[in-house]
This record gives sequence, C-alpha cells and structure tokens, in this order.
Amino acid sequence: MQFEHRLGYVAVVAGLILLLAPGCSKKAIQGETGAQSSEQSVVTPSTPATQEPAPLAQVPAPSLSGSGAEPLTGFEPVKPGAAPTEERVGSEIQVAKAAPTDTGPRVEEMQKEQLAAASAGLKDVFFEFDSFKISEEAKEALARDAEWLKVNPSKPLAIEGHCDERGTQAYNLVLGEKRAKAVRSYLVELGVKASRLTVVSYGKERPFCKEHDESCYQQNRRGHLILRTQ
Amino acid sequence: MSAMRVEGIILYAALGAGLVTGLVGIVESGAKDVFLEATRPDFQKIPIGVLGFRDTGLPDRLGERMSEVLRADLRRSQIFSVADLPTLGIKVNDVNGAEPALFKQAADSGVGVLVWGHLFTREADLVLDGYVHDGGREEGAVGKRYVGATPVLRLMAHRLADELVYRYTGEPGIARTKIAFVSEQRGSRELYVMDYDGDAPKQVTADGFLNLMPKWSPDRRYLVFTAYRTRSKQDIDMIELASGKRWTLVSLPGLNITPAFSPDGSLLAFATSQDGNSEIYTLDTRTKSVQRLTSHAAGDLSPSWSPTGRELAFTSDRGGGPQIYVMSADGSNVRRLTFEGDYNAAPAWSPRGNWIAHVCRTAERQYKLCVITPDGQKRVQITSGPGIDDSPSWSPDGRHLVFSSTGEGASHIYMINSDGTERERLSSGGTHHTSPSWSPA
Repeated sequence: MQFEHRLGYVAVVAGLILLLAPGCSKKAIQGETGAQSSEQSVVTPSTPATQEPAPLAQVPAPSLSGSGAEPLTGFEPVKPGAAPTEERVGSEIQVAKAAPTDTGPRVEEMQKEQLAAASAGLKDVFFEFDSFKISEEAKEALARDAEWLKVNPSKPLAIEGHCDERGTQAYNLVLGEKRAKAVRSYLVELGVKASRLTVVSYGKERPFCKEHDESCYQQNRRGHLILRTQ
Repeated sequence: MSAMRVEGIILYAALGAGLVTGLVGIVESGAKDVFLEATRPDFQKIPIGVLGFRDTGLPDRLGERMSEVLRADLRRSQIFSVADLPTLGIKVNDVNGAEPALFKQAADSGVGVLVWGHLFTREADLVLDGYVHDGGREEGAVGKRYVGATPVLRLMAHRLADELVYRYTGEPGIARTKIAFVSEQRGSRELYVMDYDGDAPKQVTADGFLNLMPKWSPDRRYLVFTAYRTRSKQDIDMIELASGKRWTLVSLPGLNITPAFSPDGSLLAFATSQDGNSEIYTLDTRTKSVQRLTSHAAGDLSPSWSPTGRELAFTSDRGGGPQIYVMSADGSNVRRLTFEGDYNAAPAWSPRGNWIAHVCRTAERQYKLCVITPDGQKRVQITSGPGIDDSPSWSPDGRHLVFSSTGEGASHIYMINSDGTERERLSSGGTHHTSPSWSPA
C-alpha cells in the first residue's frame, strides 16, 4: 500500500527527548518531509536540532505484564495475639519530577511574530459556528492580506485555525485545521504562493477570550495570521 | 438502522410514556429498561462498617483520616453500602480490636462486614494493620499488615479497600488507579497525573506550550499525547512516567492527534491529516509499521478500542456533522453507530465492552455525555445541566466515568457513576482542567 512505501522517508520519525536536560529549550524533533507529499508546503522548515533523532526502533513498546498494579494477595486469617501477614507498599506509579523547559525564547519569538503581523496590518478572518466557509467579509480581509503579501514577497505566513469552546477538543482540532486550510486555499486563489503559507490548528486550546458567551465565541472562531520570523 | 428507530418509536408509543418531546424524549424513555450494572434493582450492596484506626501517639488525626479515605473508597466501589455506625449506636474510632459483642451488635443492625485497624510507626516506616470480620464467622478476623513510608499512607488505605472489593467480587478494585489530565499553566497546557480520587496531582510535562489529550499504555508506565513541538508543528509523543524520558512516535505533516493504545499494547491507533484530511492509522509498537484504516474525504478521528482489540469506535463527519462509527481493527466493516442528534463525538469503549460513552449534543444544544450499546439498540444520556462536557474515560471496572465539564464556569474534572449518579469533582484550584484519562487497573 502506498503509505507503507512512504514510510521510509515521510512518516514516522522519532527523536529522543531528554525532558530532564536542563536548558534544553529547543525540542529536537523533526519529521523528514516526503518530496512527493502533497502536504509538503504545510510542513514547517526544520529548526536546529540539539540532538540527533533516534530511530523509532529505539522507542520502547509497552507490555501487558510487569509494570501494572501490584497484584492483590487476599486477606489471611489472623491468629489472636499475632500480627497479620506483612506486605510492603510502594508508590505503584512513580512520576518523575517534571523539569521546566526554558520557555523564554519561544515566548519572545511569539511576541515578535505577533507584532510583525500587527504592524503589517494583516487582518484575521472569522467563521460561523461549526463552519469553515470563507464569508464575504472574510474574503475582503483576505484580499487586503494578499495585497500585502504580494508587496512583501519574502515574508512567510502561518495561518492558525481557532475554534470556540463548544464541542469536543479533538473535533475542534480538526475543525480548526479545516478553517486554516480554507484560508490558505483562498490566499492561493488570490495568487499567494502556497509554499509561503503554513497552517496549524489550535482547536479551542489557545482562545483569544474565555467568556462563555456568543460575543467571545465569535472572537475565537478565527483564522489568525502570523508573520513567521523563521 | 431506520427500522430500529421506528421500532424504538413504536415501543415508546406503546409504553404510553407521555408527551413526545422529540428525539431526546425517545432516548430518555429507553432508560426505563436500561440498567447500568451497579444500578440494577436486584444488585444488593454489601453493608460494611468502618470502626476506625487506632493511632495512639501519632499526630494529625491520622487514624481518622485513614477511615475517611477508606470509607470514600468503599462508597465509590459501588460494591458496598457504608453504614453510619454511630447512628446504629456503635462506637467508632479508638477501637481496640475484635470484640464479639460488637460483631453481634453490628450484625443485628444488618451490617455483616466490619473493618478496623491499627496505625503505628516502626523505625522510619508507618504500619497499618487492617482487620476484617465477616458476618459469616462467629469470631476472629482476617487481615493484612501494610508497611511503607509516610507518602504512601493513603495508598495503604486504597490497597485495603481494593482487597475488600477483591474479597467479595474477585475483581481488583480501582482505588489504586490514577487519572492523567491536562492543566492550564500561564497559557500553556501541561500533563498531570493524580490519584483516582483527585489527591496528589503531579506534573508530568513542563515545556511551556501545548500538551493535549493523554492516554495510558496498558502497562501504566507511559502516557501518549499530542504535543506542539513548535508553533506550527505538532506530534504524538510518549513519556515514561517513572523517568520523564520522552520520545516522538508520530511526526507526520499536519495534525497528529487522539492516540490510543490497543488493549494488548501492540498497536497505537491515531488520527493524522497527512493525507489532507484527518484519517485513522495504526502504528505497530514493535515493528513500527504503519497501516491506514480509514479512507474518506471527511474527517476521521478519536479511535477507541473495544476491550478485545477487534474493533474500534471513532468519530467521523462523513455524514455531515460528527457521528460515532465502528469498524474492525483492519479498517473493514465500517458502520454508523449513532443516529440521535446531529453531534456525537469522542467515543470511549467501556472495558466491559457493553457501552460506548461519548459526547452528545442535546436538543437544547448542550454538550453532554451519552452511553450507547455497541449494537446501537440502547442509548442513555447520563449527564445534564449547564456546561460543556467532554473527554469521557472509563474506570477499569467499567462502573465509573471521568470527564471534564465547564458546568461550574471553569473547566474541572469530574467522576460519575456510569448511570449518571454520584457526580464528584476531582480537580481543585486552577482555571482549566481537561482531557482526563483513567489508568488501567
């Protein structure tokens, strides 16, 4: 089958992350992108890796035995005056202390990108509930965005798809991607080169406001445009 | 399928159950002949009394707190009804041990099982001696001594509770299980693991961005989840809880979401949009080969394994809005399961196999939890009221669900019996807790 052939060079590439490594602010995972993949234009260019990606073969496979709950052994009769059968209790599921990553560089980069998009006057677009259709109003905004992108042909653009809080997290991630891709398709129709445009969905995970009402929901059903700095 | 719907309506009419209020009315009418294990009317809970734990010389009312933990465990087990001993005139706490007069007094009040214990220190350890008296025996007791460091004190009580469930059902109990979830921290979403009763949340990731929708490996050693690597790239990662070691399993172009291990751990099902729209694949965890299961222009996501590993339930919007579908583990035999309402998503197949829980949008356009049998014959809405409910996940005994809800404003984690009774909030503090996933037993 086609996807199995692609596996060798697209697909599933693993990288070992040492979460506990101090100062490891750049997570070093990059998938190889297949030259024949129709989605290639969507893939972000590689960020520098601080570690060689480990082959997927080195990823452990979970087992059915060995590390589940300590088995129960049943109560035993206790003779008067004697102590019951002894059993040592250890923490059944150990959780290693999470070592924080230095998020400074990412926060800084995000602020820069945010500012760049704002100072360029790029317009976001908004969607109806449960919909990824580009409205007439959105078309006007995107026409202006496309003009700017043509005048500034070196700038790569990221399109974020966002959703309001209604519905499930998972389905909203899929809906958010549909919105981002609808924006990308329309910009490409207007003559923007597809290779400049990346899409990402945040579903309902990074809302612009948090109130539980329609005026906020409206703000969150969004195609958000970001000028990428790298 | 439409024939079944018609049948349901005829049955409903035949029952003369009152006004027809649309589809939801029909669904709810079905509840009359649907019993979810623990609420079967013939299910007789075992009356049990917790006499208390003598803790002479120890600080902080430890004995009393142990009793509280044990009583809560026994109540949640749905196997026992925990007697209020003082109202029966039976003294609790400060218990010395087996007293035949006490057994008789309890038995005469219908409480056949009594539990008590002693708590003391031995060098650096705490020791809990737990004793059980069954009504069947004239006198004497069975028991167990639990020894451990102070941090595992609650776990000792949980273990005692699980032994009690095991003694009377042959099943291991759930008091020692954990719940993974996602918590917001200054705009980022990080993974946490807490005890099944909400105690002792521990942070698992701390990379300052988005870590979403964790699921357990069957051996309870790992979590798999969606992690945003950069602003525009996200993967499916696996983290080993004991070491914090982390690997990337799936890094295809596009969205890589909703991973779920098969019950034997041999396959990881997930959804990826590398083909343009979201499709479900499996990754063989040993050979690392990948197989595509769905092929449709619509979005397919959120795979959930049947306990045998032979079938998968999933969400698909191939019919317009999202609905639950079921297919064989090789992607064949796809059939639509849900027909009530225009939004059904996030399926979770019960470990007993008899129900598939999911998010259902009601006629009032509320996002609530429903359960449906795998043959589609019976469907029950089990939560109601305000707020958006999401991410149902079953306890390993199939008697409870954990889920997130915004019913109180902020999103919190709740436990509920599978019939919708005994809702209990597990998360506290914070502003946004989501995506709970119950560990295997």
